[in-house]
Amino acid sequence: MAVRGMEAASQGVATGNSIWSRAWQNHAPGYLFLLPWFIGFFGLTVGPIITSFYLSFTDFDLLTPAEWVGVDNYVRMFTNDRSFAASMRVTFFFVLFSVPLKLAFALGVAVLLNRGMKGLPLYRALFYLPSLLGASVAIAILWRQIFAADGLVNDVLAIFGIQGPSWISNPNYSLWTLIILSIWQFGSPMIIFLAGLRQIPQDMYEAASLDGASKWRQFVKITLPLLTPVVFFNAIIQTIEAFKSFTPAFIISGGTGAPINSTLFYTLYLYNEAFSFFRMGYASALAWFLLVLIACFTAFSFLTSKYWVHYDD
Amino acid sequence: MTLRFDRRQFLMGSSALAAAIAAGVNPAWAQNALRLIFWGGQARADRTNGVIDLFEGAGNPGVESEFLSWNDYWPKLATQVAGGTAPDVIQMDYRFIVEYATRNAIAPLDDLVGDVLKLDDFDADQLEGGKVDGKLYGISLGANSVAMLVNKTAFEEAGIAVPDMSWTYETLKEIGEGFKAANIRGGMRGMSDGSGSEPMLDNWIRQRGKPLYTPEGKLGPSVEDMVEWFTMWNEMRDAGYITDAETTALDTGAPEVSMVALNKAAMIPSNSNQLVIHQSINPDVLTINSYPRIAPGVGGGHYRKPSMFFSVAGSSADKAAAAAFINFCITDPEAGKVLGVERGIPCSAAVRDAIAPTLDEQSQIALNFVANLGDLLGPLPSSPPNAAGEIDTSLLRVLSQEVAFGGRSAQDAGEFFVFEAEAILDRAAS
Repeated sequence: MAVRGMEAASQGVATGNSIWSRAWQNHAPGYLFLLPWFIGFFGLTVGPIITSFYLSFTDFDLLTPAEWVGVDNYVRMFTNDRSFAASMRVTFFFVLFSVPLKLAFALGVAVLLNRGMKGLPLYRALFYLPSLLGASVAIAILWRQIFAADGLVNDVLAIFGIQGPSWISNPNYSLWTLIILSIWQFGSPMIIFLAGLRQIPQDMYEAASLDGASKWRQFVKITLPLLTPVVFFNAIIQTIEAFKSFTPAFIISGGTGAPINSTLFYTLYLYNEAFSFFRMGYASALAWFLLVLIACFTAFSFLTSKYWVHYDD
Repeated sequence: MTLRFDRRQFLMGSSALAAAIAAGVNPAWAQNALRLIFWGGQARADRTNGVIDLFEGAGNPGVESEFLSWNDYWPKLATQVAGGTAPDVIQMDYRFIVEYATRNAIAPLDDLVGDVLKLDDFDADQLEGGKVDGKLYGISLGANSVAMLVNKTAFEEAGIAVPDMSWTYETLKEIGEGFKAANIRGGMRGMSDGSGSEPMLDNWIRQRGKPLYTPEGKLGPSVEDMVEWFTMWNEMRDAGYITDAETTALDTGAPEVSMVALNKAAMIPSNSNQLVIHQSINPDVLTINSYPRIAPGVGGGHYRKPSMFFSVAGSSADKAAAAAFINFCITDPEAGKVLGVERGIPCSAAVRDAIAPTLDEQSQIALNFVANLGDLLGPLPSSPPNAAGEIDTSLLRVLSQEVAFGGRSAQDAGEFFVFEAEAILDRAAS
């Protein structure tokens, strides 16, 4: 298409026709085919995004017309909203622990799988399975079975004579059960790590082992540095995912963030403001703040990346 | 070579576009049938669809129904109302009827009474419950009352007598002591922790002569009331009469994870019409009783609440047809037999008489309970302010857990509840 476009443009110049009309003639069918996508993109994505930006400066309950309130929503967020503060704490805690642990776990499994074992496709598929299951009602029930007072975890602990708490309904531990759920779904970063590991030239390892470097030293000095672009990519994707995490907490806590707001993810709070209390304006402001927050985190990652990400020149 | 925009390409492109639009847009012009939306589970949907079949069979226009869970229902309804595509007949709750009525999302039905809506033998208090500012916006589909759900089998197992309607909070403590001593089913407690239950607080404060919310939409209980409330439950929790904090937090709202369903407690606060649903998922024999009295002989905590309404959308093209369907649901004896008491006790005396012999045991219990509340029955309170739902879910329940887990004292929680609830009410009113 691009090549044809250039051809068409040069022809247009050659015959003296307007470039634009030639281009239109040449690409009109293409644009027509793209029209459904354009309608979707502008009608369902760009339009609502702009609308939500407008709504974030209003008081809007769906039933009555939106009323302009200026920056009140944003001011309230930072000055007079305990739940906002609570949800920020929960979300940051979740991001801070779930992302590094999940990446470390995914990398560990990828390294193990990369040793040329038999039946790799099968293992790869099996390890990817939890990610496919996502956060379904079945997972919520499974998690309750595992982490309840009389659940699997405590059955195992009982063997060692330890009486465990009801992990899932205790505010001190409930968030950790969700972090473990997130780590368990390590499939997609693992696949990407695996692809990254395949890119590392084998002769480097051969040279290193000739020089007598241990496996661990090879990992630290060869694998990790050469893998940093993949680590960087995974870290950004997973951080964004973690900030946006919603379904596990929604399903496991019944949409309330219970017990005592210990699983009140930012997105869950946003959802409740919008669809439980019908404060669409305030919820829009929350959504925009989340966008800015994620953008800042991503920008920060990119700025620091030049100090630790090594691109193969 | 250049791409040409010929007729065949145009046809392909435009037909793909037409297909995409057709798939994405609901052809509203193709619908003449009435539309109905309600919340509930499959059992309610089966009964409702049974009535729709009867209605259509009698030569009436078709009705297309849609049902969702309570949590999904309100976002969907509000979105439809905002988009101008609200269904003709809307199931409405006492909590939201004022909000929808004052915004003209639902229509006043007074002009249709007598002509389309036959309400001659309709219970006066239930009719009154559907009025906002003196105009009729909702037709009650049944009366219900709060009720204590009791696992009768567990009481027999523990060798404890099932309480009758004269019971008090002192009786509750004795039952708690009994269950603690009996230690059945891995330490089943007498009752779940009721400190986060808005209906229990409402019932308790009404017995003390105050409403939970005044008709002006202000908070009823004082700091002292709330401190006493949290202290009372603290004492019962510490004594082991009710479920502990960790166990209570396992209940996230669905009947399947209630303390009775999980065998953690022999009683939970519930509603009379919910006996049917709880019984359907529990192998034990369940029954219902009143909420406890604060002292012997003190009544007035209960009231016969319209469990839910049918309302007509303000945007409905044919309000008379919509009202005719509602009338069929509430006055036709055959429809009444299909609906049973699943939405509450029918408000038409004739329908009640017609269905009474056809009811199963649980439905009979619910019907008799609501009909025989006696001195426990008080007046219907005014419909709660808009922010009541938020105070319930994001304040009372959270505080109840904070106190149970030891994060707050009863004194602290009582003060905080009143302060924060008033702030929430102010914000909603402004």
